[in-house]
Formats: sequence, structure tokens, C-alpha cells
Amino acid sequence: MGRTAYLQGQKAAGRKVAAVWPARYPAELLWAHGVCPAEVWDPPAGQALAGAHLQSYVCGIVRQGLELLLSGGLTTADILLFPHTCDSIQNLGSLVRDLVHEPRPCLYFYPPRSGRSERAAVYLEAQLRTLSADLTRIAGPLRDGALEGALALGNGRAAALRHMYDLRARGALDASNEEFYGAVRTCEYLWPEDAVLHLEAFMKTHAGRPRRGVPLVLSGVLPAPSDLAQRLDGLSVAVVEDDLLACGRRFARALLPEPGDPWRAMAARLLALPPCSTAGDSVEDRASFLAEQVERTGGRGVLVLALKFCEPELFQIPSLVDAMRGRGIPVLAVETELGNSAPAGMMTRVEAFLESLP
Amino acid sequence: MTLGMELRYRWMKDVALPVLLKARERNRRKGSIGESPLGPPLESTRSLKRLMTRHYALARYAEGARPVAWVTSGAPVELLRAFGCYSVYPENHAALCGARRMGPEICTRAEEAGFSRDLCSYARVDLGHALSGLTPVGRLPRPDVLFCTNNICQTILYWFKELSHREGIPLVLFDTPFISVGEGTPEVFDYVAGQIKDAVPALERITGREFREDRFHEVLRSSIRASALWGEVLATMRHRPAPMTVFDAFVHLAPVVSLRGLPSCERYYEGLLAELQERVSRDVAAVPGERHRLMWDNIAIWFALAPLSRLFAEHGCAGVAGTYPNAWAETNHYLDLADPFGSLAKTYALIFLNRGLDYRLGLMEAMGRDYQVDGLVLHSARSCKPYSVGQYDLRRSLAGRLGIKSVVLEGDMTDFRTWSEEQARTRLTAFFESLDG
Ligand code: SF4
Ligand code: SF4
Repeated sequence: MGRTAYLQGQKAAGRKVAAVWPARYPAELLWAHGVCPAEVWDPPAGQALAGAHLQSYVCGIVRQGLELLLSGGLTTADILLFPHTCDSIQNLGSLVRDLVHEPRPCLYFYPPRSGRSERAAVYLEAQLRTLSADLTRIAGPLRDGALEGALALGNGRAAALRHMYDLRARGALDASNEEFYGAVRTCEYLWPEDAVLHLEAFMKTHAGRPRRGVPLVLSGVLPAPSDLAQRLDGLSVAVVEDDLLACGRRFARALLPEPGDPWRAMAARLLALPPCSTAGDSVEDRASFLAEQVERTGGRGVLVLALKFCEPELFQIPSLVDAMRGRGIPVLAVETELGNSAPAGMMTRVEAFLESLP
Repeated sequence: MTLGMELRYRWMKDVALPVLLKARERNRRKGSIGESPLGPPLESTRSLKRLMTRHYALARYAEGARPVAWVTSGAPVELLRAFGCYSVYPENHAALCGARRMGPEICTRAEEAGFSRDLCSYARVDLGHALSGLTPVGRLPRPDVLFCTNNICQTILYWFKELSHREGIPLVLFDTPFISVGEGTPEVFDYVAGQIKDAVPALERITGREFREDRFHEVLRSSIRASALWGEVLATMRHRPAPMTVFDAFVHLAPVVSLRGLPSCERYYEGLLAELQERVSRDVAAVPGERHRLMWDNIAIWFALAPLSRLFAEHGCAGVAGTYPNAWAETNHYLDLADPFGSLAKTYALIFLNRGLDYRLGLMEAMGRDYQVDGLVLHSARSCKPYSVGQYDLRRSLAGRLGIKSVVLEGDMTDFRTWSEEQARTRLTAFFESLDG
């Protein structure tokens, strides 16, 4: 079933739908309110309408997301949620509400940048309660045990994702890169129980020995352009791990003990996500995380997909590359854009990189 | 900090530099101004040059004598001053590099190290400087601490994190959540105030100095006064004809950004304000025959400040208001000695760049009316997303609300590699002519 049909089904089942811009946000809180998040990353939209509102030097995610909205591609959504991931999304969220005069409720979420501190946790918790009050007005109040139930759903989905990543890393998944990312990215809109069913079915169908290929770890924002995973398949690359913002950076890699209070637990969960440029985490933390992934999975190198105009990533990439090299890990950073096909020049660089690997 | 360094610093500050700067001024030949469409230049510009030259010159001697901090333009510097820190503003330094047309040369150094040409050019100048030592000011002192607030953008956080990582310098960060809607919540202000309080022991550790509340209050008082004076300076442009222009404001902004909280800053603005008030009383025009009054949105195009200023004046257009210079006068009324931490949190979290576009629109509309503006020039700064994203719609909305014409200039703050002087001239000339109807 396609994404739109699925979301219409969710509405028919009595849920509200929220269009959510990247990247990290408290999905559990939305679920608790009976709201199904549908994330807007790289929709297949042009940029014709968005061009009247945004300069050409804004990243594709922001431009295409706005295009989708303006061209009526988000009609299933009852709510729009903008996490303050970067300057561009921050302004987009405001632009849509204040200047484009979007009539649907626009909500905001600010991921704190002050480290994983107690202050950040307290602020996050306060913010979650405010967001919950907004959601109550739109989707109705929380039922008894709804937060606990949603936290359990989150645990279930994270466990399924961990399992799938783990199978891939151990070489026990007979799936191409394209198939793997196709499955992972259904989490961008499936209700968590459906996502778990989908991931489990995928793991079952694709159980087996992996296809042979050069084991690589991916970093960056997302597998883009949209044929990238397929092109990597064509080059016999077997992606074994990633810290992609849209994928591996959005679920905790271990089940950690959490406070009993569900609000606190939700805040703690957000603070336990892997290191991320958008969260203001240090490049050392990110490099250590990536190096660990490389070591654990036997990756032979790291391919960094630097999305054009993405400030948080572009600032970190030079030092991240240095840090990888300093650890003796081969690394290549290529500039990418959204779109249908990876440019020949970029793929040539990837090929040359693969040939240079020890 | 050694006694020798301290004595050297004091000697430079109190004896040598004042003498050197005076001598330099005497020796400087008076260049002919030539035919200028502008009114008489501001006398205070000489004091400004002296003040800022002294600031950068003294900075070299501060290393080892004072704790040195590199500070972002929207950071609560008052706290640092209470520790006697010498503050250097990389954004101001980048603007200076831009004005001296060194932007591309320094940016290239950062790009060679892998930083994308699409990143904020202030950051590229700074990182390029860190990598190459290139600067028009001789040398910047190595910081003991980086002091950063993300109220102007998230970009500054990535930039300062990078600097901290590369140079191994501790970073003190104040995270100011973006206020999309309304006036901010107590949770936001508690969060920010808490971080400012947390910075006290951190700075005590880093600087090896004790926090002195009396000094802190003194600095706060001075900061309040400097920002208020700056507000009054800008307000003189409400007068017809305006006694200075927004281009002057860009230049004379340096002290309130870099020296806020110091007596020299207050003194400077007292002088500037007096000069402007005197001009107002005599109807001295910055643009003789002022016909149109314009508002400038976004940071200055530093490398083109002088030609733009002339071009405006040639067409009888005076830039009389600017969202950027206004930022340092906008929220200082929140500062309250009875609640220093809480009020600092409000002062710094509520600046317009940290608020939704609705607020910015309201602010621009009010400025447009207060300053009787009949046109708007929007600088779409290629490498500054927070300021630029949304400008196209702000332009449309303001046209509707104020009934004014506007023009967008695609440019950058310091990096002129994508700037076409000719194109800008053509666009602006057509715009000015349209104002004449
Ligand atoms: S890709 Fe980067 S710049 Fe674009 S929305 Fe995501 S974080 Fe922001
Ligand atoms: S992105 Fe804009 S606001 Fe931020 S530091 Fe650069 S020029 Fe300043």
C-alpha cells in the first residue's frame, strides 16, 4: 500500500496525521495522542512553487518539503510539526505559519543543544508537556496509560530496527541496499505497530547470507539522490552500518534504563539518541560512534553523503574526515543533492574510492 | 597570567597606544574626498577608528595578561566582563575582513581545508583565519574560552564547536530555544538563565578569577546605558533629513557589539549622539536633498558599503533604518539589576533573529512607520540562512502593509566571488527610478 493510501487508512481508523519535518522529535508523544507522524524528508516534488518563497541556496529537504505542501501533497495531514533542526527548518516552520498562512495548526519542537545535561532534560520535559497541551486541543486528551503505551511502542520499534541493523552488520540479511533502506524508511510514516510488523516480515523474507560486496559504513543525512542505494548495489557495495540522520541516528543503539516517570523517560530517550551534528554534539563523539560502527561491522571505509547547503553537516565533515583518517579508517565525503539520479562525477569518485580501499 | 604580561598590557593600554594612535592620526595625510553626493562625514568616525584600532591593537597584548574570550555577537558578554576578560568578536573581525576586501582570500583557506563554500562566510573567514593567521589587524589573541549563544542562528554553534575542537579551547554555550510563537515561556527563560548561572563556576575555573557581583552589576549598568544610547543614535534617523544613514549605522555599530559593558563604549556613543543631535538641530542631511527614505534588511555587504552608500545618495535615497543595527538596541530594556540572570536570559533570548517571522514582520512594519520609510532593500545573504530564509515573503507582506516598493539584492557579507557590482547597480538604479515614479 502506498504512503498516501496508508495515511488515509489511519485517518479512517480515527487517528490524526501530522506532517513532520526532519529530524528528531518525540514520536511517542504523538502516538500517545493518537497522531500518526508522516515525515517529510525527500518527497518526489519539484521546486517550482517553493522558488517563490525560498532562495536557491536553501537545502533540498526544505525546498522540496515546501513544494509538497504548496502543491497540495500534504492534504492528509491535520497538523504540521517543525522540529528546530537547523536554521533553515526553523525559518521554514515560521514562514509556513506566519507568511504563507497555512490554516492547519503548526507546532514546533526545539531539541536542546546544551549537551545531554539535566538542564536539557528539564527543559525537554517542559516542552513535551507544552506540546502535549497543543496536541490535546487538536487530537484530544491523553488517555490513562497512553504515554506508557507509546513508550512501549517506541521500544518495540527501536528493538526491531536494532535487530535489523544487527542482522545486516552480522551478514545475516539477504537484502540489497535499496531493499534495506526501503524497509527502514517505512518507519517515516507507518504506525509503530505496523512498522514493527513490516520490519519483522522483511527480516523473515530476507533472512540468509548477504550478497557479496565491499562493506561500507554510510554517514550524512539520508541516502540521496533516490537511486543512490541502487547505484551502490550496482557497485557491489554492501552497506553494513550507517549514522544517517534520517536512519541510524534516530534510534538508540541500546536499551537503557529509563526513569519511571513517562515524561522524563520521553526526554531521556531523545537525549540517548546517537551523536548528531544537529544536536550540537561534538565531532569527537560522532567520530567515536562511527569508528565503533566500523570496527564492529568490519566496514572497510566510510562514505559521507554531504547534502548540499546542509550547514550542520557541512561544518562537521572536514573534522570528521580527519578523525576517521586519524584512526586509519578510509573515508570519502561526496556532495549530494536530492533528485532522481546520482551524478556521474560523484559515482566516479565513489568507484575510485572503492578501488583504493585496502 | 603573569605580572610581566599584566604590566606590559597596562603600559600599552594607558601610555603607548594612546600616543601611537595620536601620532598615526597626525601623520595620516588627508585624502581628498572628491565630489561626493553625501553630506559632511561624521566627526565621530575618527574617534571610532581610534577606539576600534586600539581595541584590536590591545588585543595582542591581552594574551597572557587577561583571560581572552572569543564571543558571539549575541552572547551575554556582561558576564565575561565581570571576570575582566578581553573580548574579541569573530563576527566583527569577519566584517572587518569583508570591508577590507579580504573575504575571498581568507575564505579560500577554509575551503582548502574542506569547508564548503556554501557555509556562512563569517565562519569561513574565522576558520580561514584560524588556519592561516591571515587578518588585517595584525594578529588576534588566542582565546582561553569561546563564549557562544545560538540566539542569532544555529550556525554559530556548529562554527564555535568546530573552533573549539580544532584549537582545543573550552566552549561555554548558552542554548536559547527559538521562539516561534508568542513571547517565550517561563520554561525557556529558566532554561537560559540556568545556563548563564552555570557559566559562573565554569568561568571561574577557566579564568582562575573569582566572580564579583559588584563588578557584574557595574557592567550591566554600563551595558544598559550603551544599548540605550545606541537606540537613541538610531532614532535620530527618524528626523527628516536623516543626520546619518544605515550605512553609517553599520560602521558605528562596532562598539555596541564589541565593547558593550565598558565605559569606553558609553563615552563613544555619548559623543556620537551629541554630534547627531547637533546635526538634527541644524537639519544637516547625510544625503543632501533626501528624497526617499529606505529600510535595509539583513547584514551589510561589507565589501560594497562605500559604493552602495554613494549610489543611494546619488539618487537622493537615504537608508534610514536597518533591522540588523537595531538588534543591539532592541531588547536591552529587559535588563534588570534586580534579576540579572533572569533578565539576561530575556534580553538575549528575545532578539528578533531568535523569534518567528511574524515578529520580524511586525518589527519591520513598525520601523517602516517610525522612520517614514518609502522603500525596502533586502540583502539576500547567500551564506546567512537564518536572516535570509523568509525574506521573499517578508517583502511581499510589507509591500501590502506599508504600501512600499522593494528590491532584493543577492549578495553576501564578506565573500564577493558571487557578487556582481554591475548587476547590483543596475537593479538598484531601476529601483530608485521606480521610487521617483
Ligand atoms: S538537510 Fe541539513 S539543512 Fe537541510 S533541513 Fe536537514 S539539517 Fe537542515
Ligand atoms: S549564519 Fe548569519 S547570523 Fe549566523 S553567524 Fe553567519 S552571518 Fe551571522
